[in-house]
Amino acid sequence: MRNRFFTWILFLSGGVLLIFTLLAAYRELTPEWEKYQAQYKEQIIKAAKDDAAKKKARQLKQEVQQLYLGALNRIDRCTSCHIGVENPRMASAKLPLKQHSGAYLKNHPPDKFGCSVCHYGQGRAVNKKEAHGLGHETHWDFPVMPLKYIQSSCTQCHDYETLTAKGYDTIAKGAKLFTEKGCRGCHKLDGIGGALGKKLDIVGSQPIAYFPMRHVEGEKTTYNWHKQHFTNPRALVPESEMKISVKPEETDLLATYVLSLRSGEMPKAYRKIKGRMAVGKPDEGEALYKMFCIACHTDGKESYYDEIFNHTIPSIKNPAFLKAAEDKYLKKVLEEGRAGTQMTSWKLAAGGLGESEINKLITYITKERPSSKPERFNVARFKPDEKRGGELYKVRCALCHGKKGEGELGVNLRNPVVQGADPEFLAITIRDGRAETPMPPFGKKGLSLTEQDLADLVSFVRTLSKTK
Amino acid sequence: MIKKSDFKAALILIISVIFLLSLQAASKAEAKQTGEVKDNPGKKIYEERCLVCHGRKGDGKGPASLMKRSEKSGRILEIKPRDFTLGAFRFRSTPTGCLPTEADLILLVDKGIPRSFMPPHKDQLTKEQKKAVVEYVKTFSTRWKEEEPCKPVVVRKPKWVGSKSSVEKGKKLYKDMKCWECHGDTGKGDGPKADLQKDDWGNKILAFDFTTGATKMGSDPENVYTAYTTGLDGAGMPSYEDSMSEADRWHLVSYTLKLMGKVK
Repeated sequence: MRNRFFTWILFLSGGVLLIFTLLAAYRELTPEWEKYQAQYKEQIIKAAKDDAAKKKARQLKQEVQQLYLGALNRIDRCTSCHIGVENPRMASAKLPLKQHSGAYLKNHPPDKFGCSVCHYGQGRAVNKKEAHGLGHETHWDFPVMPLKYIQSSCTQCHDYETLTAKGYDTIAKGAKLFTEKGCRGCHKLDGIGGALGKKLDIVGSQPIAYFPMRHVEGEKTTYNWHKQHFTNPRALVPESEMKISVKPEETDLLATYVLSLRSGEMPKAYRKIKGRMAVGKPDEGEALYKMFCIACHTDGKESYYDEIFNHTIPSIKNPAFLKAAEDKYLKKVLEEGRAGTQMTSWKLAAGGLGESEINKLITYITKERPSSKPERFNVARFKPDEKRGGELYKVRCALCHGKKGEGELGVNLRNPVVQGADPEFLAITIRDGRAETPMPPFGKKGLSLTEQDLADLVSFVRTLSKTK
Repeated sequence: MIKKSDFKAALILIISVIFLLSLQAASKAEAKQTGEVKDNPGKKIYEERCLVCHGRKGDGKGPASLMKRSEKSGRILEIKPRDFTLGAFRFRSTPTGCLPTEADLILLVDKGIPRSFMPPHKDQLTKEQKKAVVEYVKTFSTRWKEEEPCKPVVVRKPKWVGSKSSVEKGKKLYKDMKCWECHGDTGKGDGPKADLQKDDWGNKILAFDFTTGATKMGSDPENVYTAYTTGLDGAGMPSYEDSMSEADRWHLVSYTLKLMGKVK
């Protein structure tokens, strides 16, 4: 009885094993590509015009196709399934037999370029799942690229102008957005840009592990990461300080652009350009302003409190500010940045701007500076009382500028630029306030502090950097 | 027998006592008078700390009156200081249409209003000073002379607030009561009518984006319930005290907490 039971178990498990073995053998003997090649053969036999062509088609061998690309260090077997890519009769066939769209292959013969150099994916694989590299378990960092981003591959060899002239303008539009949305205010590219964000030089070649993929919706690819990150950075990286405002359709353009920023170069024989397409620095004030300032300062006409930075972002083109601030002061701010805030230092060694560029920026920012000068305020005339200034500061200023001048709603008063500013400039600012900003005038015309009060306040403000 | 000198001494004593008493009374009266006119501590504090935004006349037109604030989503809020002359206050514990209690106003002075620019004064002022400044603020609107603040609404949180079934019920109520018209389907403050709202002063206001999770008067269930019950007078948010049952309002609180990411 007992023996019989175990015999049955053995018998059954043997049967299951056999079935699985047969299934595995069947799968190996009938690979995916063979099915597609059979379909392909059938279709070209049907489409053959005469007997000779038919005979030729019948002789077509079914085997794994392979493109060996020595110069590119790649082996692509994509044509095992996509066997009709070069066949014009396959123009209206279904994928994967369909002919390659457009006239790309005329100039990019597959035996020289292969497929994965533009389309990514795992060239050596011979089944769809592994070749396309989609799905987490394939462990492929660069799965086949969605066609909407495909122009990011073109700039490996071509420049924007040629591409645009031929009608492939996605990448150039993306590059234009990149320069006009002020991305470089925070991100360095080719050594030029702010220090708040990540460097972007090879962001298009970064593997999946480089990106926090946890909150990405759908397939966890770098492509989806970029698009969703441009839509809402904080959905993917909760602590992100990235400021971006683009229309939904612009996210694809920007994603195409950043995906084109790759490491490594194509061999010289392939390239139509010398090196990588560089964005460069514009030579004109307005363009410089857009490239480096606009992401935070917007049009520069209004100051606003920013919940991402937890600071007020000042309006740098506000006439009331320009009236009091001299070029010398602006230059210092641009060159040194403002420690304690998000404002980066822009000198050559840091943000990468030369003196002439900084001067051009200042000229642009101060274009609407009023010709009238503010009424002078001879601070030296008063004997300032620091202690009294401190009392006044506590009541009048601390709620916005912080007890130690660390700033929140008001600007940070501890940083070297404010501390090193001319006392008269500080006194005038407190006296007249800043029109169009929350800083009110504290002088006679506003909140009626006396000139002595103002002088006391200035002397106290200039001690703030020493308080801990 | 009374001596003449004794009588004289008594007379002098009485006269001097009367004189001293009258002098004291006079000085008291004088002190009272100056107290009203010169040394109003509420006015002094108001002019030092509040006038800068709320204006000399309490009309919210101080020298620093308009401030902009960019939310994380990039939405720009225009924040104006409260105009005290209408006597309408958003954050109260009293039913809609009523004046706030003194405790309500002192709480505002204490805690400030986060995400607007009203700073907290908890450690800045003494209890008496806060009372005084609140009294002074009351002089800006005639409502304070004509009306009495009502009794605060009762807030008793049921145990089931935040439970799964309550969130579901709240979600249905959110749809039925048309909360989405302003606050949007996903609570981002982007509903179809969100752009049309104006407050009692004619300024454009934006519907609250629940996903920020940062309600001005605190995000405890009790605070949210209070807002739904009392409404935010002067702003677009009405009171639902009459149109929804107490339980329904608590269900809506549950769903709100979900939108704010406070419950799962």
